[in-house]
Amino acid sequence: MTEQLSTKHLLGIKYLTEEDIQLIFETADEFKEVINRPIKKVPSLRDITVANMFFENSTRTRISFELAEKRLSADVVNFSASASSVSKGETLLDTVNNVLSMKVDMVVMRHPAPGAPQFLARHIGANIINAGDGTHEHPTQALLDAFSLREKFGDLAGKKVAIFGDITHSRVALSNIYCLRKLGAEVRVCGPPTLIPKYLPELGVGVEHDVRKALRWCDAANVLRIQLERQDVRNFPSLREYSQYFGINKAMLDSLDQEIVVMHPGPINRGVELTSDVADSEHSIILQQVENGVAVRMAVLYLLAARRTASTSA
Amino acid sequence: MQLLIKNARIVLPSSKWHGQQVDILIENGTVTLVEPTLDIPSENTFDAGGAFLSAGFVDVGTTVGDPGFEHREDFESVTAAAAAGGYTAIACLPNTSPALHSKPEIKYVRNQARNNLVDFLPIGAVSVDCAGKDIAELYDMRAAGAVAFSDGKNQIQSSALMLRALLYVQPFNGVIINQPLDANMARGGQMHEGKISTSMGLRGIPALAEELMVQRDIYLAEYSNSRLHLLNISCKRSVELVRRAKAAGLGVTASVPAMNLACTDRELERFDVNYKVMPPLRSEEDRKALKEGLLDGTIDFITSNHTPLDPEAKDLEFPFAEFGAIGLETAFSLASQNLHAAGPDLLVEKLSLAPRRLLGLPLPELEAGAEADFTIFSPSENRTLQRNSIRSKSKNTPFAGQPLKGKIFGVVRRNKFYFDR
Repeated sequence: MTEQLSTKHLLGIKYLTEEDIQLIFETADEFKEVINRPIKKVPSLRDITVANMFFENSTRTRISFELAEKRLSADVVNFSASASSVSKGETLLDTVNNVLSMKVDMVVMRHPAPGAPQFLARHIGANIINAGDGTHEHPTQALLDAFSLREKFGDLAGKKVAIFGDITHSRVALSNIYCLRKLGAEVRVCGPPTLIPKYLPELGVGVEHDVRKALRWCDAANVLRIQLERQDVRNFPSLREYSQYFGINKAMLDSLDQEIVVMHPGPINRGVELTSDVADSEHSIILQQVENGVAVRMAVLYLLAARRTASTSA
Repeated sequence: MQLLIKNARIVLPSSKWHGQQVDILIENGTVTLVEPTLDIPSENTFDAGGAFLSAGFVDVGTTVGDPGFEHREDFESVTAAAAAGGYTAIACLPNTSPALHSKPEIKYVRNQARNNLVDFLPIGAVSVDCAGKDIAELYDMRAAGAVAFSDGKNQIQSSALMLRALLYVQPFNGVIINQPLDANMARGGQMHEGKISTSMGLRGIPALAEELMVQRDIYLAEYSNSRLHLLNISCKRSVELVRRAKAAGLGVTASVPAMNLACTDRELERFDVNYKVMPPLRSEEDRKALKEGLLDGTIDFITSNHTPLDPEAKDLEFPFAEFGAIGLETAFSLASQNLHAAGPDLLVEKLSLAPRRLLGLPLPELEAGAEADFTIFSPSENRTLQRNSIRSKSKNTPFAGQPLKGKIFGVVRRNKFYFDR
């Protein structure tokens, strides 16, 4: 393959071109076909060692990456640290040197500090994949979300996507905004004003506070998990009130003129942001998102590794 | 000790030599001769080559690490950094350990300045330990040599304490210095709140958090009929509030850090912690308003906002890195790059004369018998501050290795001098 990503790392969607995103999607198409074969493994990353470094809890992202790495035949090492031991940041600097001496080729990192992958990229030569940095970006989630919408709609240009929930504290929202805007989709966010950054419209995003209006407007609803643990002060009074005024239920979807797609990055708080009958309905593509996550992450790993090989042989 | 300075263009608006090029003979720290040309032998001679000579620059709100944080900066290293930056006096913040909150600490700082090239002017703490609760012994500290009072990096959050301090110093015409920021509103903030912070997923420090406290402090200064200095303001509306307070005849003055005059929040887009400072770098609109404020006299002077930090506190993931950058060695260049069009008189006003007036320091004269206290500078000379030539113990600056315009050629104070040419 002659095509290459324009970047050595995947630090955020912000740093990708539209061509990069399309290349990832086309590659992911191929890998999706691979992982549905009886033999799901390919040798593409056979000489590559990947370290999964999770400085923050994660279940599905970590498993999804690990699966993607193993399906590509990479050597995988896992490292996780409790949030308390990274609170002063020493661990990351020390980890940098450990990574260097272990001759690791690629690092998949989740970290509570926005910009932590940039910090790592400045200090080490390995390719960095951001698996979530605080409230900044979660690029592979946005890629798999857009990839899933692309399966549903074909081209995303002109499509309307509404993102519901805690936008201020969400890396998923920010990466989705960048990704969807680059692909030509329209984006609106919906939630109480205390959970929406004041300057978000300057990123080309519409703001709506009425859930029904936002649902009527959109082709797809991406519903975020309401995370109380990201909030050191209460930006809304209770989950009960939130679910009453900002939660999405089946009756709302049934009242719409058009059928919309419902997405969720997981894990769902059933009965808070989404009722179970929505999560499990024909509107929902939540499980397809999870499946596509593996294919998209394989594509990212593959493309970054290919660029690595190209640059060392050049 | 004899020192002959040749070919210096004088920037001292009160002097009969203002605007002229002269030679100056200094003997044992005192000016003995000033003439258009002096052809006499001297132990030491410095040819200024037509560069400007003014009253020594004075910095207000310098952080020195002694006592408590000597690994970041001590009096020796800060003397070297200040002299290289053109300063002959620095008014030090009380955020040391222990805090400069009683007579012994004030005397300790004063004693360091004896026979030193750079004078140390301690700013006493308003409250014990700068903790914002109980008022400290301000009369006693004043008698020991404190030039003003402030809780420094700990902004005074309690309106009641702020009012008490303003009232308490009023009889001796003291000045209370506050760096305005509503900490509750700014809590968790990492940079200026705006498009850039939103795009980076970083919690913002709203301009409002500063403006509310600027307005509060102005109200309190009016109520107490006392003197207030708003240290290091950064927002457009703060400038407007100060402008109105001055028009109303209140005893309010304000300053701006050189870096906030030169840079905006765009610099942070790459998560470079060296641009993470307090007050935060704000928008281009704010930056322009700060410049206008300086030009029309609303903002009285420019500070270095010198905040030395060791790598353990600074070279971290962005949210974990402390706020602050060293500034003594770059403030003049940043100021002159942004104000050069206004000429050397304005630079001298903003770096020397206005801070001297705030602290009640003498304005040096240029005549026989006057004490030598001068800075020699060129606003047009290009320079590059190399990382390994930074004189401060700490290296937390984004300007290392970058070309800068505006150079300090030297300082003279009493019988000591430093030249770099």
